[in-house]
Amino acid sequence: MSEIDRRKFMGNAAGALAGALLVAGCKEAPKSVAPYSGPQVRLGVIGVGSRGQELMRTFLRVPGARITGLCDVYEPRFAAGRGITGEETPIYRDYREMLAAKDIDAVIVATPLSMHAQHVIAALESGRHVYGEKSMAFTVEECDGIVEAVKRTGKHYQVGLQYTYASWYRDTLRRIREGKLGQITQINACWHRNNNWRRAVPDPSDKKLERLINWRLYKEYSLGLLAELGSHHIGFANQVFGGYPESVVGSGGIDYWKDGRETYDNVQVAYRYPNGQTLFFSAITTNALEGAQLRVYGTEGSAVLTEGDAMLYSEAKKLKASTVTQVLIDHGIITGASYMPEMPYRGKGEAVPVPEDVEGNANFLACESFVRGIVNNQKPEADEQAGWGEAVAVVLGNKAIEEGKRIWFRDYVRKKSGA
Amino acid sequence: MNGSVPVESNLEKRTRDTRLGVWALLGVVSFLLLAAQMAPARTAKLYVQSREAMGTKFTIYLYAVSEGQAEAAFESSFDEIERLDRTLSNYNPESELSRINRLAGREWVTTDPEVFALLQTCLGYSKRSGGTFDITVGPLMRAWGFFRGQGHYPTARELEQAREKTGWEKVQLNAATRAVHFAVPGMELDLGGIGKGYAVDRVVGILREAGVKVAMVDAGSSTLYALGVPPGEKGWLVRVPKPGDRSKTIAAVLLKDESLSTSGSYEKFFQLNGRTYCHIMDPRTGAPVEGMLQTSVIAADGTTTEALSKPMFVMGADEGAKYLASFPHVAGLWVTGKIDSPQVAPWKWPGCMGDCGNTLAGGGERKTKTQ
Repeated sequence: MSEIDRRKFMGNAAGALAGALLVAGCKEAPKSVAPYSGPQVRLGVIGVGSRGQELMRTFLRVPGARITGLCDVYEPRFAAGRGITGEETPIYRDYREMLAAKDIDAVIVATPLSMHAQHVIAALESGRHVYGEKSMAFTVEECDGIVEAVKRTGKHYQVGLQYTYASWYRDTLRRIREGKLGQITQINACWHRNNNWRRAVPDPSDKKLERLINWRLYKEYSLGLLAELGSHHIGFANQVFGGYPESVVGSGGIDYWKDGRETYDNVQVAYRYPNGQTLFFSAITTNALEGAQLRVYGTEGSAVLTEGDAMLYSEAKKLKASTVTQVLIDHGIITGASYMPEMPYRGKGEAVPVPEDVEGNANFLACESFVRGIVNNQKPEADEQAGWGEAVAVVLGNKAIEEGKRIWFRDYVRKKSGA
Repeated sequence: MNGSVPVESNLEKRTRDTRLGVWALLGVVSFLLLAAQMAPARTAKLYVQSREAMGTKFTIYLYAVSEGQAEAAFESSFDEIERLDRTLSNYNPESELSRINRLAGREWVTTDPEVFALLQTCLGYSKRSGGTFDITVGPLMRAWGFFRGQGHYPTARELEQAREKTGWEKVQLNAATRAVHFAVPGMELDLGGIGKGYAVDRVVGILREAGVKVAMVDAGSSTLYALGVPPGEKGWLVRVPKPGDRSKTIAAVLLKDESLSTSGSYEKFFQLNGRTYCHIMDPRTGAPVEGMLQTSVIAADGTTTEALSKPMFVMGADEGAKYLASFPHVAGLWVTGKIDSPQVAPWKWPGCMGDCGNTLAGGGERKTKTQ
């Protein structure tokens, strides 16, 4: 996030005093600050499930953002959504009805993955900007379709790769691009959890409801762990390597949670990038030691990024050749048993500093940036190209696992850039 | 890792564990053992699950017809507790409260309706309690050394500086924009005196929606909510322990669709020059409360009981009873004096006093003692 941009946006917040002050102690605020009085951005939500609700709460922390439409097919979501907005927000059971409403400027799409393209493209075509949850879409063709719709409509599309906006990710990426870690050759990434990845279903015997709420576990709607967890890591690797993978191999299975699910409970994939670089990603649901992290390996150093911070480590200095005195030759070299274990580095790293004014939750920074982009007419950074890159890799990664063979992107991708 | 377990084996283990709870609920444990044994086969069984959150351990006991139903209810409940922890924590720099604390000293910070409503509720309690409930006492706590884990008698200057950054009336709210602002830079909000109670209420709502009729939600034993009653019983038995000795009971009560909160001074304190200073501040004086050992309060929900328990502690029994009288269906209990000779002062206490024995266990009649 550019600080200048943020100040410009927040400048609206320092306008004239708006609304009656509810001041607990009747003390007036200093005159230099006042509550937000800038333009409003009215948001409609398609998909008011757990992620949709979290996005709603986060967007409502952004000055000027208001939720003016809730769309879902599961009736209890409306009460939950209104509980979050704190008002009688209009509800819609068909997204087309919501898109026909006049009081919506932008749309949040947080539906099951297989429905993303349908909802995103319809929202764009209706003239709305879109914040679309990752992964961008379910198939390569649908990813292309969203890219084309953005181009055709000229509307903003921001994919839910929120770490793109996290200051510690941005600062690490800047250092990588400045060459501070040398040549990056590999990224090892993981998202390891120790749970069944299920959502609670009020009536477990209701199979339809089970598929609706636990859609992540069914192939009709979901590309599983790689889509829901791996897309963040793939998106960052694409930024580090400056492009998209050219091939992928993978494995996975339903090996522990044999509970009727159809998507894998563990996946391991290796993407190869055109310059001989590799992203290895693993997701398991049986051990949480590693949590969610990315380890970026360069010839001069490493970076370890988590959901909350980033650490940098330098490689040991390589010694240059030096001359030796004749004494060594005259005395001879002493022989003996020797072994130097190659232990992992366990020393301290250098924390990537987080400036106070951009500190904070990646979700908030992403939502704030989306709203700011609409107000200031600035295209999102995590745009349709970023979304296309992670989503196509997710689709083809799953294909590689399914078919048990290396998948070459060129065989499935119409245009390399997706543009 | 977080699998639900029928309550018998777990509770047998837990009753042996002297680390159990903080300072209440011993009665609940033995009662649950009895209740679990009495639950008819093929009907609802009693399940329990605990997780750490909000700096304490949350435990939920609930009756469910299957492990699957219990698991689903636990998962939804703990997801909500963890969400609230991520939102309201002042330790986690990514929380919404931390964002407000960072920015509200220099600009108006818009927040979501839930957090805004909770802040409005807090300031409402502050006003109503004459400032004895105050979410801004962090600087005072720091001045007295409680954030460093060791006591410190502050100098007059230190106290003055801390008081400048303290005071609920310096927190400004703008309802039209849901924005928060601190009149004085350097202030900070700490929802430790209400957050657990709010989380308990949210969980009770989730359990009700999930079709759970009977449950006990326990936030580190300091705030409890009894949903419904166990089969064949008239309420959930809760024992109030003697301060400093959890094995002894000074009062007990049967709860049904109501909450109980307890505050105590004997967990965190320091002694200096023969005086004992506890971690509960009187925001009016800027100094720790002296002479109060423990308070318990019963009300309709956890947010209310938690928000009432500290003002009761600060005000003492006489002033506190007048304060409680301004709320409907509330009862309280004060324990004052020295820890080895405590004085108990009940007010509209609906249970029994003293060690109670088996007076209430097993569905005994609910007795009312009014002072």
